[in-house]
Amino acid sequence: MPDSVLRAAGLVRSYASPAGPLCVLNGVSLDVRAGESVSVRGSSGSGKTTLLQILGGLDQPDAGVVEVLLPGLGLCPPRLALGRGVGFVFQNYQLMPELTAQENVALAARIAGIDAAEAARRAGELLGQVGLSARADHLPSKLSGGECQRVALARALVNRPPVLLADEPTGNLDERTAEEVMSLMLGVVATLGTALVLVTHSREFAERASRRYVLSGGVLSPA
Amino acid sequence: MPWFLHLALRQLFPPGRRFPAFATVSILGVALGVASLLVVQTVMNGFGEEHRLRIRESFGDCVVTASAPIERPAELARTLGADPAVRSASPYAEGPALVRNGDFSAVAGVRGIDPSDPAQPARRYVAFGSFDEIDDGRVALGAGLARALRVRVGDKVELWSPAMAERAEKGRAPLPVELEVCAVIRTGFTEVDDRAALIPLRRFDDLWALGGRAHGLTLRLKEPAAAESVAERLSAARPGLAFIPWQHVKRNFLEAIRFEKTMLFFLMFIITLVASFSIGSTLFSAVIRRAREVGVLAALGAGRAELVLIFALQGLLIGLIGTLAGFGLTWTILTFRDGILGAVNRLFGDGDMVANVYQFSRVPLHYDASDFLVAAFFTLVTTAAAGLFPAIWAAGRKPSEAMRDA
Repeated sequence: MPDSVLRAAGLVRSYASPAGPLCVLNGVSLDVRAGESVSVRGSSGSGKTTLLQILGGLDQPDAGVVEVLLPGLGLCPPRLALGRGVGFVFQNYQLMPELTAQENVALAARIAGIDAAEAARRAGELLGQVGLSARADHLPSKLSGGECQRVALARALVNRPPVLLADEPTGNLDERTAEEVMSLMLGVVATLGTALVLVTHSREFAERASRRYVLSGGVLSPA
Repeated sequence: MPWFLHLALRQLFPPGRRFPAFATVSILGVALGVASLLVVQTVMNGFGEEHRLRIRESFGDCVVTASAPIERPAELARTLGADPAVRSASPYAEGPALVRNGDFSAVAGVRGIDPSDPAQPARRYVAFGSFDEIDDGRVALGAGLARALRVRVGDKVELWSPAMAERAEKGRAPLPVELEVCAVIRTGFTEVDDRAALIPLRRFDDLWALGGRAHGLTLRLKEPAAAESVAERLSAARPGLAFIPWQHVKRNFLEAIRFEKTMLFFLMFIITLVASFSIGSTLFSAVIRRAREVGVLAALGAGRAELVLIFALQGLLIGLIGTLAGFGLTWTILTFRDGILGAVNRLFGDGDMVANVYQFSRVPLHYDASDFLVAAFFTLVTTAAAGLFPAIWAAGRKPSEAMRDA
């Protein structure tokens, strides 16, 4: 059995609200193995994005432990694995508006300490894999939503992280483009052997994951 | 190039946009602040230098006087001239006289000098004629005085000294001496140009009946800046004489100029400070607008220091480019200063204030590298700080919060 690339145990997270603490994660545990895909569904405000942010080290749980595989170092806190151990794809693409598609992808590699030439080479390769070689020199403002999300996917994978965390990656796309992007994402992660944790509203897309969960009332249950 | 510098440059000068408004306005603000500071400082330096030069050239690097006219001045000049710190020593005498050319007359400040002294500063300011032709029958006049008398080189003027009136027979007007104008001097200081008449000391002696004495000696030193210590040393050896270094001749005046320059520096620095605050405010807005991008960069693995650098570098780059542009603007303004001042004077009908009030023929200036270094240092520090504080705030936020708030 493949080793774990992401482990979370007993995650608790609550927010202050006028009505008292609002618990959005209540003892959530998850173990993701190399190359597998996991989907998490849930209604708006159920804590899906919070879970993803904690898994990726962008937020801290009130209680519980998260560990992410950092190549060469083993399992470590996700905060240390940002960029290299975990890749993110966001609903709103979150590309740097002043950088071209190629530069946006290369930026993630540069931040990870890769030299400019190698970063550019990797960016070109990944843009080719997502079918955007011809649009590499375009600014995000000149790309369609689907193209932006493909650039974001390339950026998330440029450092070859063991885990890709995707937060509603098709939420801003029309049905046809969403289908294209989702197929592309599943295909690329399968090719690279990257594990995927997909947060989505869509039952259809969630069904494509090898393991499926629903987050409701702060509890993560198999779908 | 580090990625954060690349990103900072792209955010400042976005590609595909013709006019980077934020960067342009911020850089212009800094450039105007720096230029205001340096123009004022350089002109103030110019006034200070011109005043110092005028004092030195009018009074010498060191003036030797006594409570009575100095006996055997040539002998004293030889003795003092032999001192290793002294370049030349030259006796002088001075007094007012009435000068006339036909229907035009003026009161001149006549100065008896040694025309053979090669260190006489007036030599450098001869506009017409020859300084070396000054002799018992020839006089060098300041340009303003020559204009007032309507004379040129080769014309003759009549001169009456107070001593001539004393010597005249009772009830009879004294006869003037006739002198040919051999040189016209233009120093640029109207106080000198409008009054000066230079004649040989021996001729002055005749006309003022000094009996071979002089009013004082003018010392030119090898190191004018060391005048105070040289004066102290010479004074200790000759208690009967007063040695006055040029720095003490108009001490209060020079102190006032220095104080004025310091005050203007602080006043003008406020302009740069205001520009920096406006950059800080604009960068703060930019940081808030880019909060989500900051969160994304953190998600990509950017460290806190690198996030701070992105925005701090933008402030620093604005400061750097603005400072260089300010240097260029300073040079441009100062190069065309007379034209600019002339236009301002015409606009407000003030006339030639530089000549009328400050007695200079043009706006003086003196570039001082230390002023430029100080202005650059303070500007870079303030603009970097203007970018630094919003950057620290942004980098200190949780990435999840940053992405949620935007």
